[in-house]
Amino acid sequence: MATVKDFKGDSSTWCPGCGDYSVMAALQKAAVNLGLEPHEIVTVTGIGCSSKISEYMRTYGFHTLHGRSLPVAQGAKMANPNLKVIAAGGDGDGYGIGLGHFNHAVRRNIDITYLVMDNQIYGLTKGQTSPRSNHGFVTKTTQKGNKEYPVDPLSTAISNGCTFVAQAFSGDVKGLTEIIEKALEHKGFSLVNIFSPCVTFNKINTYDFFREHLVKVDEPFHTREEAIQIIKQQQGLLTGILFVEEREDFQEQLGIDWNMLAVKEGSMDEGQLRSFETLFK
Amino acid sequence: MIKSIEWKVGGQQGEGVDSTGEIFAKTLFRYGYYVTSYKQFMSRIKGGHTNYKIRATQERTNYAGEQLNILLCLDQETLQVNEHELADGAVVIMEGDTSVRAEKHYTIAAFPLKKLATELGNALAKNMIALGISGALIGLPKEEFFLFIEDVFEKKGEQVILSNKAAVEKGYELVAQHLQHLVKPLEHVQKQDRLYISGNEATAFGSFMAGCRFLSAYPITPASEIMEWLSAQLPKVGGTVMQVEDEIAGITFAIGAAYAGARAMTSTSGPGISLKTEALGLAGMSETPIVIVDSQRSGPSTGLPTKHEQSDLQHMLYGTHGEIPRIVLYPSTIEDAFYIAAEAFNLAETYQCPVFVALDLVLSMNKTTVPPFDSTRVPITRGKLVTEEEAKSYGEHIFKRYRFTDDGISPRVLPGTAGGVHTASSNEHGEDGYITEDPEIRTQIMRKRMEKIKTAAIQNPYYSKNEDADVILVGMGSTRGIIEEALDVFEREGVRVGHVQIQQLHPLPIDRIAPILTGKKVISIENNYEGQLLNWLKQHLPIHSNAHKITQYDGNPFVLSRVIQEVRELI
Ligand SMILES: Cc1ncc(C[n+]2csc(CCOP(=O)(O)OP(=O)(O)O)c2C)c(N)n1
Ligand code: SF4
Repeated sequence: MATVKDFKGDSSTWCPGCGDYSVMAALQKAAVNLGLEPHEIVTVTGIGCSSKISEYMRTYGFHTLHGRSLPVAQGAKMANPNLKVIAAGGDGDGYGIGLGHFNHAVRRNIDITYLVMDNQIYGLTKGQTSPRSNHGFVTKTTQKGNKEYPVDPLSTAISNGCTFVAQAFSGDVKGLTEIIEKALEHKGFSLVNIFSPCVTFNKINTYDFFREHLVKVDEPFHTREEAIQIIKQQQGLLTGILFVEEREDFQEQLGIDWNMLAVKEGSMDEGQLRSFETLFK
Repeated sequence: MIKSIEWKVGGQQGEGVDSTGEIFAKTLFRYGYYVTSYKQFMSRIKGGHTNYKIRATQERTNYAGEQLNILLCLDQETLQVNEHELADGAVVIMEGDTSVRAEKHYTIAAFPLKKLATELGNALAKNMIALGISGALIGLPKEEFFLFIEDVFEKKGEQVILSNKAAVEKGYELVAQHLQHLVKPLEHVQKQDRLYISGNEATAFGSFMAGCRFLSAYPITPASEIMEWLSAQLPKVGGTVMQVEDEIAGITFAIGAAYAGARAMTSTSGPGISLKTEALGLAGMSETPIVIVDSQRSGPSTGLPTKHEQSDLQHMLYGTHGEIPRIVLYPSTIEDAFYIAAEAFNLAETYQCPVFVALDLVLSMNKTTVPPFDSTRVPITRGKLVTEEEAKSYGEHIFKRYRFTDDGISPRVLPGTAGGVHTASSNEHGEDGYITEDPEIRTQIMRKRMEKIKTAAIQNPYYSKNEDADVILVGMGSTRGIIEEALDVFEREGVRVGHVQIQQLHPLPIDRIAPILTGKKVISIENNYEGQLLNWLKQHLPIHSNAHKITQYDGNPFVLSRVIQEVRELI
C-alpha cells in the first residue's frame, strides 16, 4: 500500500504559506485513503503556481500549457479508461484562458476530477487581476479597481450539467481531503473549486477572510435550481459538496469495446485491410 | 474505339451534381477504367455553380485533364463556365425541347429531361436520364449502370431501383433515336480489382490501418471528411473520434491520448493549424508522438475557404515559438496518402515528436483509382516503448523519461506502468522531466531533442523521373499529376525535362536530392504566392543562381496548357 511519502515528487518552490500546499497534502492523503498507487494516477496541469502540483506530487504527471489541462486530461482518459485522471490548475488557468474547455468538459462528463486552486489572482505572473477577482479589486492591471464581475464557476458548472460540484478551502485540510476523496470516487466529471489563498499577492482574500465568511453545506442540494439560488445568495462563499448527479459518463454512453492501446508491432492486419477496402469499390 | 474520355457534370449546388458525378465515375471505375476526378464547388450549400469532372483512362494518371468530350449541363451557367474546356467534337447535353444542333466546334443536344422523368413517374430521375445519354454516347453496356443502381439503391427498395433503371434506359433510347451518329464507343478493358478513393479517405484509411485509434478535431473544409470517415469506422475496432470544441482542444485531446498510449491524430486546415500552434510546441517539448493532418486551402485568414492552395508550408516547417523537432510529410498522390499517413504514426512514435501530413484541397477532395493497398509495405513500429519489466529494471523513484541516449531518443513509458512514474513537461526540464533552468542541461537537452530526428525517413521521400535532365521541375502534393503530364508533352516534343516531387519536406532528404538539383535549372511549380517550396530548397541547396518558380494562387489548380507554356518560356 502506498503511503503519503510515496506521493512526494520534486521539492516545491511555492511561497511559504501558499494555499496550494494544503491542496497537495489533501490530494496525497485522499489517494492513500482510496488505496491508489502513484502509477495509477495521472495528474495533468496547466500553467501557474498551482499547476506545478504535477511536479511536486509523485504520480504520472503532465505539465501542459496555460489553460489546456482539461483537454489533455480528457484525451488521456479517453485513451485509457483504467487511469485515474486528475486535472489541476489555477483560477486564471481554468476560468480565464481555459473557460471554454471547462464548459465543454462539464457537459461532456468524461470521468475525471478537476481541482481548481482559486486564489482570485494571477500568482505566477505576479499579481494581475484574474477572472475570479472581485469587482473593485485593485491589482497591477486594475489600479482603479476591477471593473468586471467575477466568473461564477459553481453555477456555471451546475447549469451546464456538471455531475459533481464541490467547493473547499485550503484552511480546512480535513474537509478538503474528504471532498477530494468523494470527487475521485465520483463516476463522471467532478469539479472541486478550492479557495487557496495567495499569501504574496492577494491581501484581501486571505485565510482569515475565508474563515470568517465561508458557510459549510452539509448535504448536496436536491436540485440544480436550488443549488444555484443558494450559491447566489451566499455570493459563492460556501464549502461542501453542492450538487451530485449519477449519470452515465461519456465513455459508457459510447458503449464500445475499448481497444485503443492494442496496437501491436508487425504488419497491418491483412483481413481488416481487405474488409475495409470494400467501402471503396 | 476511343481509349479515354473526359466528362463533366455541372449545375447549381444542391441539384445532385455530386451524386451524378459519383455514379458516372464509379460506373466507369467498375467497368475497368482508371478514373481521376476533380470537383469544383463554392463555399455555400445551395446555389452557386459546381461541377464534377472525370477523366477515365486505361493507364494511370494523376491529372483530371482539361479537354471535355461530354458536358452535362444541369443549368444554363454550366455551358458558359466550362465552354473553354470543350474538345473538338464534344457533345453538350442540356435541358430543352428536343434538338440537335452544331455549335462552333461542338454539338448541343437538348432534351426535355424534366418532362421525360416526370412521365416515367420520378421527376428526380432527370439526372439518371442524362447519365443514360452519357453512357450510350460512349457505348457503355447498360448493364454496367444497372449493377451500380442495384447496389446504390438497394436500401431504398425495388421501386426506386426500377424507376432509376427506366430513366437510364430512356437515355439510351434518346441516343439511339437522335444521336447515334455521335456515338464513340469506349474500348472495352479488363475489369480490375481496384479502389476509387479520395485523398482524405486514403489518409484516414492509412491512419486507421496503422493503428490510429483516436482522432480529435473540429470541422473545417477541406479536412472534415477525414473526421467523418473515421467517426464511422473507428468504433468498429475500439477507437473513437471526438468532435471537440475547437482546434486547440483538437490537438490537446490528441496529445493527452498519445501521452496515455493511443496512436492519436488531429486533422484540420490552415485556420485550425494556426490555433494549434502553441500545442504543437507542447508536443515537441514533451516529446509526445502525434500526427497532424493539414488539408490546406486558400488563405490567409478565412481566405477562399473552399478553394485550393499550398501555402501553409512555412507554417508547418516553422510554426510555434521556439524550436522543436518535427517531421513534415506531403504525399503527392492519393495512393501515397495512405502509406505516408501510416508511416507518419511510425515516425511520430519512433522519434517522439509531432508529424505533419500535408494535403491540399485537390489532393484531399478528389478521387482516383488506386490498386488495392499492400498490408506489408508499412509495418507498424512503436519505437522505444518500454514494458513494465524494463521500466522497473531502471530501479528509479522518478523514471528518467528524457534520458540522454546515443540517438537522442529516450525510452518512453505509458501512464499506468509501475516503475515508470514521472512528469512530462512543457517547461524546460532535465532527464527526469522536472523543471530546470540550468544552462548546461538546457543546452544538452535542447540538442538531444532537435537532433534526434536527423535520421527520420519515409520509404519514398520524393518521386523523381529523368533525374539527369538539365531542367528539373519540382513540386509538392497534388501538382504531381500536372507535372507528369507536362513531362509527357515535352517528351513527345523531344525535350528532356526532369521531375522531382518532394514528399518529405522536413527533414529534407538533402543527400539524395542535392545531386539531382545542384547545377541544374530548377523550376518549382506551386500553388502559393511566395514560392514556399523553392525558398525552402534554396535554404538547403546551392541552386540560387538558376532557380525559377511558376506560381498560381487564384484558388484553382494549374491547367496543363499554362504550365507547358511557362516552362517553355523558361527553358
Ligand atoms: C498562452 C499563455 N499566456 C500567458 C501565460 C503567462 N501565464 C502563466 S501563469 C498565468 C496565470 C496564472 O494564474 P492562475 O492560473 O490563477 O494560477 P496561479 O499562479 O495563481 O496559481 C499566466 C497569465 C502563459 N504561460 N501562456
Ligand atoms: S505567488 Fe501566491 S500562488 Fe504563487 S506560490 Fe506564492 S503564494 Fe502561492
